[in-house]
Amino acid sequence: MANLLYTLFAISISLLLGKLANHALAGLPASLYGMVFYAIFLQINWVSAERVSATNQWLVRHMGVCFVPAGVGIINHFQLMQQHGIALISIIFISTFILLTVIGYLSERFLITPSHSHSHSHKDTSQVESHD
Amino acid sequence: MISDFIADSLVMASIVITLITVITYQVAAALQQRWQSIWLNPMLVTISILVPVLLFVEMNYQEYTRATQLLNYLLEPAIVALGFPLYQQLRQIRFHWREITAILSFGIIIVIAVSLIMAMILIKAPEIAVALSLKSVTTPIGITLTDQLSGDSSITAFAIMVAGLFGGLLGPAWLKVIGVKSPKAQGLAIGSASHVIGTAIMVRVSAEHGAYSSVALILSALLTALISPWLIPLLQTLFS
Repeated sequence: MANLLYTLFAISISLLLGKLANHALAGLPASLYGMVFYAIFLQINWVSAERVSATNQWLVRHMGVCFVPAGVGIINHFQLMQQHGIALISIIFISTFILLTVIGYLSERFLITPSHSHSHSHKDTSQVESHD
Repeated sequence: MISDFIADSLVMASIVITLITVITYQVAAALQQRWQSIWLNPMLVTISILVPVLLFVEMNYQEYTRATQLLNYLLEPAIVALGFPLYQQLRQIRFHWREITAILSFGIIIVIAVSLIMAMILIKAPEIAVALSLKSVTTPIGITLTDQLSGDSSITAFAIMVAGLFGGLLGPAWLKVIGVKSPKAQGLAIGSASHVIGTAIMVRVSAEHGAYSSVALILSALLTALISPWLIPLLQTLFS
């Protein structure tokens, strides 16, 4: 229960700061600023990852229900679906496959770590772990 | 009849309708847990059940959104909660964050341009074109950005779901065909094209697939939020 309140408090503060940042800087939506603040607080240990872990995982697992109302909005678009259903689906299909191809191909090409930097990264990982 | 009920007691109607939505979603999620099929996507199932129900009781969409305001308020804190998985993945990105950011930004610019231009040519409705161009991002952020850029967010929610299913179901096979074999590349590609649905599938393939998929999911959300507010208006000037 204490951890639940702790998590909600940490999220609320981050969101509040996000709203301020959005007000002052515009750019990102308030909730995204909030997300970044929250990640930073966790990284610099102002918020304890251990204490938020359980509640946060529960929140992320169940957040999908918050998008249902937006999805139900499709009810207003039956006419659009009748008229442009094929165009709509083709655009989604084609652009999704272009994205898959571009990201997949470029990552395959440029993210293969050469052997020297590979051993580096192993060393670094262990250091990071001991730091934390 | 339902509008009388809402007019009589808005609070009661809100509670009942929100509960129905939440319970339907929970049942769908439990079914998916049990059968492990991505076709049982809880959002897809819930929408396919609710839409006929709303039509049957003659409740219009405006009344429905008003009754489910609460869920809408929870959208913002839910996005903030995604900061936790982002923090968990920071360690993964550490070594290649420049390359990953560059690759994802490039992909996002292309996918926004392709979808927006195709939609403007084929459908010719700006609010639908904006919605479709923001479909390669996780739902809460897609909805928020679409509203911000005066697109139609119900189309975004639908398009994101369809893109998630396409990429999640056919993506892995397609990547093999084009010779993309490393777990990092597969994870990043599926995570950016099919966000949560794709990530749920990648997690089951291997931990590395899952980690890179969620990196792509979260990073492309941030990058799309940075790129779309200038790219979309810029592309729109082509058609005005």
